[in-house]
Amino acid sequence: MSDDTLLDRLQRKADGRNIDPRAGILEGEGAQQRVKDPEPARQGMGVLTTVPSRSGPDSAGAPSYYGLPVLKEPLWIWTVPAYFYVGGVAGAASVLGVALEHLGVRRLERLAERCHAVATAGDMVSAGLLIHDLGRPSRFLNMLRVFRPTSPMSMGSWVLAGSGAVNTAAFVLRRMPGALGVMGRAAGWMGAVLGLPLAGYTAVLVSNTAVPLWQQVGRTLPLFFMASATASAGSLLSLFPHTDAEERVLRRFRIAGKVAEAFTREAVELEARQVAEVGKPLRTGASGALWALSRTCSLAGLVMDVLPGRARWKQVTADALTTVGAVTARYAVIQAGKASARNPQATFQGQRQGLGAAQVEGNTEASDGKPLSFPLPVLGQGSAPRAGMPYARFMATRPEP
Amino acid sequence: MGSRKGFFTDTTLCIGCKACEVACKQWNQLPDDGFHFTGMSYDHTAHLGASTWRHVAFVERPVPLQGQTSGAGDFSWLMMSDVCKHCQRAGCLEACPTGAIVRTEFDTVYVQPDVCNGCGYCVSACPFGVIDRREDDGRAWKCTLCYDRIGDDQTPACAKACPTASIQYGDLDELHARAESRVRDLHQRGMTDAYLYGKDAQAQPGTGGLNAFFLLLDRPEVYNLPPDPVVPTKKALRSWASVAMGAVGMVAVALGAVAFGREGRG
Repeated sequence: MSDDTLLDRLQRKADGRNIDPRAGILEGEGAQQRVKDPEPARQGMGVLTTVPSRSGPDSAGAPSYYGLPVLKEPLWIWTVPAYFYVGGVAGAASVLGVALEHLGVRRLERLAERCHAVATAGDMVSAGLLIHDLGRPSRFLNMLRVFRPTSPMSMGSWVLAGSGAVNTAAFVLRRMPGALGVMGRAAGWMGAVLGLPLAGYTAVLVSNTAVPLWQQVGRTLPLFFMASATASAGSLLSLFPHTDAEERVLRRFRIAGKVAEAFTREAVELEARQVAEVGKPLRTGASGALWALSRTCSLAGLVMDVLPGRARWKQVTADALTTVGAVTARYAVIQAGKASARNPQATFQGQRQGLGAAQVEGNTEASDGKPLSFPLPVLGQGSAPRAGMPYARFMATRPEP
Repeated sequence: MGSRKGFFTDTTLCIGCKACEVACKQWNQLPDDGFHFTGMSYDHTAHLGASTWRHVAFVERPVPLQGQTSGAGDFSWLMMSDVCKHCQRAGCLEACPTGAIVRTEFDTVYVQPDVCNGCGYCVSACPFGVIDRREDDGRAWKCTLCYDRIGDDQTPACAKACPTASIQYGDLDELHARAESRVRDLHQRGMTDAYLYGKDAQAQPGTGGLNAFFLLLDRPEVYNLPPDPVVPTKKALRSWASVAMGAVGMVAVALGAVAFGREGRG
């Protein structure tokens, strides 16, 4: 019998070893995990000069567990911030498209057409970007398996799927005669209604996480993303060749967006800065540099746009700068969130300062039953450690000679 | 069937033998994580993950245990076997867009591997950093509270293997009573630092209480636990309100741009 296993043969020999072949069957819960390689090696830690549980690398006196992260770093790859930009453009363009269709005059009809085209293309690209990010892309349809209001990702999946369907219908049908045309224009309306949450839900998506920075900016980030979406859509549509009549509408749309983007960006920064450790990634490191670059580009794009002069090159430069600023802002937010998830003190300090559950529940005590307060008193500080103890060199306070 | 089950992990009894880690790996047939040294302590597991559902933390403190003297001077170990908390308000469950994460008849939180599409949202939504996605598998995994054992009235592998009853499994009501009497006992013996972490909604309003709760001796940070965790969903309403505000602004900008731009002089 060729499909006999070694265990089967040993069992048949009945040599007293009594091996139960069932012990070799992989049917445990975790045995379903597909493994090609063991997990990559973690970085070894340097020699510790302080007692690990008594200090973090960032703030002495604030305890942490060897400075290891409390949270898991968000897994999202580059396609997700790219989607935040593309989805925002699609949402804002569908809103402008419907506004043009219903308030506009005949000579603006081509711009409305272009808005619908951008919105439709944006929805298609968005879906591709999101599916690429999945751990199991072939199961992307599971996103529409349930409708779960507590999950912004579930809401967003439905909004994007719906928006893609109605925007495509609007793009194809709206110029047709009769009932089909009416259906197309109605679909355009629905596309605009769905375009509004499409431009903003992505901010709810990131702030509805345990990542300290993202959770912290939950009030302002949606406004920033939506303002930025307006600026991005206006700039992108202005980069296409357009007439003077169209320019008059586009100019107002994109400059309003750019001004709102500049103000809401500062609001985001202010909200993040309430806790020192939480706001840090927006000021330091790679994410801080990206955020600064994004701010510079966006402001330059706004200034160039409002400066007098109607040269085409000036317009193109301004809109390109705004686009770069909007894209890098999304990447900066994602990178800064990852950095804040890596820093245990961002989680601890925010919660100790009453920005954890206390913010919504009003509890005055932490989970250890003691009052929330920060910085924490350091245990054992009263008695100076005795010299000659083997661990004295780890002490924050030097032993008395 | 259907009574609420959970873990009570009494860290004062933990001796750091890691039998729970091994039993968990073995029963659930979890793949290895590579054999790496962290270089910081006896803790070479470092954190919970997709293929690590129990993790023993080794905390070194420059203070003695309350009411104890030892030849080593002012030094003490704290050990804690960490696990998925199976929160009453579970961040992962409320974030899951596919319905892969469900609450079972035992009131535990379970990820259905045949539904999960690996979006990774639960990983960012867990306030304890428990659930994780294995890169080459592409799905999220975490402790199932041995869903395949407790249905047959068996004790989960970790609790079964624990030699000191540091990990106790049972009906939640019974565990609560046992834990409270243990804390009273410790307080009487002079260990007044002892407290229960996440026993119920009163002790931890942000999560509504944990089905796997802990008896700890020091502040939560020392064990790498958040001091005041909150399920992110509790703060979602304010963000949605901002989206509504932004939507009004966006409509106003679009309508205004067209209304003032259609005839204007530019």
